[in-house]
Amino acid sequence: MSTPSAAREQALVTAFVRLADTLVADYDVIELFHGLCGDCVSLLGVDAAGLLLTDQRGTLQVVSASTEAANLVELFQLQAEEGPCLDCFRTSAQIHAGDLATDTRWPRFARLADDNGFTAVHALPMRLRGETIGALNLFHRSRTDMSADELAIGQALADVATIAILSDRNTRERERLTEQLQAALTSRVIIEQAKGVLAERGQIPLDEAFSRLRAHARSSQQRLSDLARTVTDGSFDTAPLLR
Amino acid sequence: MGGGCEVDQARLSQALADAVAAGGSEAALAVCRACVEWLPMTGASITMMTVAEVQEPVCATDAVSARIDELQFGLGDGPCVESFRTGRAVLVPDIADPAETRWPVFAAAAAATGARGMFVFPLQVGGARIGVLDCYRDAPGPLDDEDLTGALRTADAAVWSLLDRTHPGGDGPSGSVSAPDGSALVRAEVHQATGMLMAQARLDAPSALARLRAYSFSAGRTITEVADDVVARRLRLHPDGVWSNAGSGHPGQRDARSDDPVDSSSRDDEEKPS
Repeated sequence: MSTPSAAREQALVTAFVRLADTLVADYDVIELFHGLCGDCVSLLGVDAAGLLLTDQRGTLQVVSASTEAANLVELFQLQAEEGPCLDCFRTSAQIHAGDLATDTRWPRFARLADDNGFTAVHALPMRLRGETIGALNLFHRSRTDMSADELAIGQALADVATIAILSDRNTRERERLTEQLQAALTSRVIIEQAKGVLAERGQIPLDEAFSRLRAHARSSQQRLSDLARTVTDGSFDTAPLLR
Repeated sequence: MGGGCEVDQARLSQALADAVAAGGSEAALAVCRACVEWLPMTGASITMMTVAEVQEPVCATDAVSARIDELQFGLGDGPCVESFRTGRAVLVPDIADPAETRWPVFAAAAAATGARGMFVFPLQVGGARIGVLDCYRDAPGPLDDEDLTGALRTADAAVWSLLDRTHPGGDGPSGSVSAPDGSALVRAEVHQATGMLMAQARLDAPSALARLRAYSFSAGRTITEVADDVVARRLRLHPDGVWSNAGSGHPGQRDARSDDPVDSSSRDDEEKPS
């Protein structure tokens, strides 16, 4: 990796301090996931990152991705019902595929990844006391075997995402987990709807709609999902966002 | 209703899909019946939330289910009301457990009905709450993973059955090619398209999703295919309820109506929902 180690160390410290700050505050779990995916890109030199959660119905759902392109690949992966992410989720173990061109494990997935310009993928499980609730996917555009250090950092980021889902240890843990998973998926739906509303009103691309939504949530110091909710229920005037 | 038996998820899913595909006013009850038949539940009911948190009982598989709903909404207390209020699943392994102190008034009344485990799931389209699915069983105990999976699938089907009820599609679901269970709700583009339709035709989220689904039925295509077209701006819904193919889809040509009527599926598919 070209990043000088001291600079990366500093960036890592900054990222984890920010995460810790977020975790002790009243945070939006989807926004935290987006930040984590961004951290994977900037800290680990991956080209795209995506986070998938179980919907407890037997399906994994993409809840966050660093780019729309990664989103695409993951959706393909779900469609194909095969791939490193599903294997990672099912086995609770990291899955490494440094070169999909020579990897024979998931032919359909490899072809779809290639179509989207991705050559390598690493999947890291989100584990919570014996239960696997999702996986973090790291994509590279060129052949890449991630180092043990990089994988350790990636796993730590995945663990933070897991902690974020279950921030407090409630006595009704099972119910709590279900509530939190469903709430995260609902937030994701609301944000996608709000992106659609903005993209249509402003005749802008969906990722641009998302950027503006996120920037406004930050500048007005509100949760991304709360802002998205007011966009979808019509109580927020979107005109200022579309100028 | 003993726990511990294997849940046949495939048969449950099929029963739910059949219930939703049959459509009409009986769909919600058929969803509840599938839940009781294939999951270790004694009874199930669906309550619809109309404007301003006004509850309206839709259906119940048995008198106890109906009574449980009636009690909760009468008292303004209980897991069902909490799920309504918070939009979250509420799982109560045993309402008669003295350690269960969340709803003291309701718990006392509920004990008389014989219900023990109570499991309530919100029915929503994004942030828009449209109702709750309320399941109970006469034996105490938490839901295991299989039960939970099945109950969540039942809740997804219940969402579609309520959309049918509140936003009946003129086309009817005959010849459906999209599995009308929860699977379409996994896809981001379905929700993005829902948002775009909300803006195009000034609809709320449930109405927009209902229109998307009605169109997919009439066009004989899956809801995700139709959503892809909406997101790619190849297809749009006008405020008067008319769909149009957008031709080249050049952004900004917002007034272009049916400028490229490529196929017959772009015909008016129904009256605009009121």
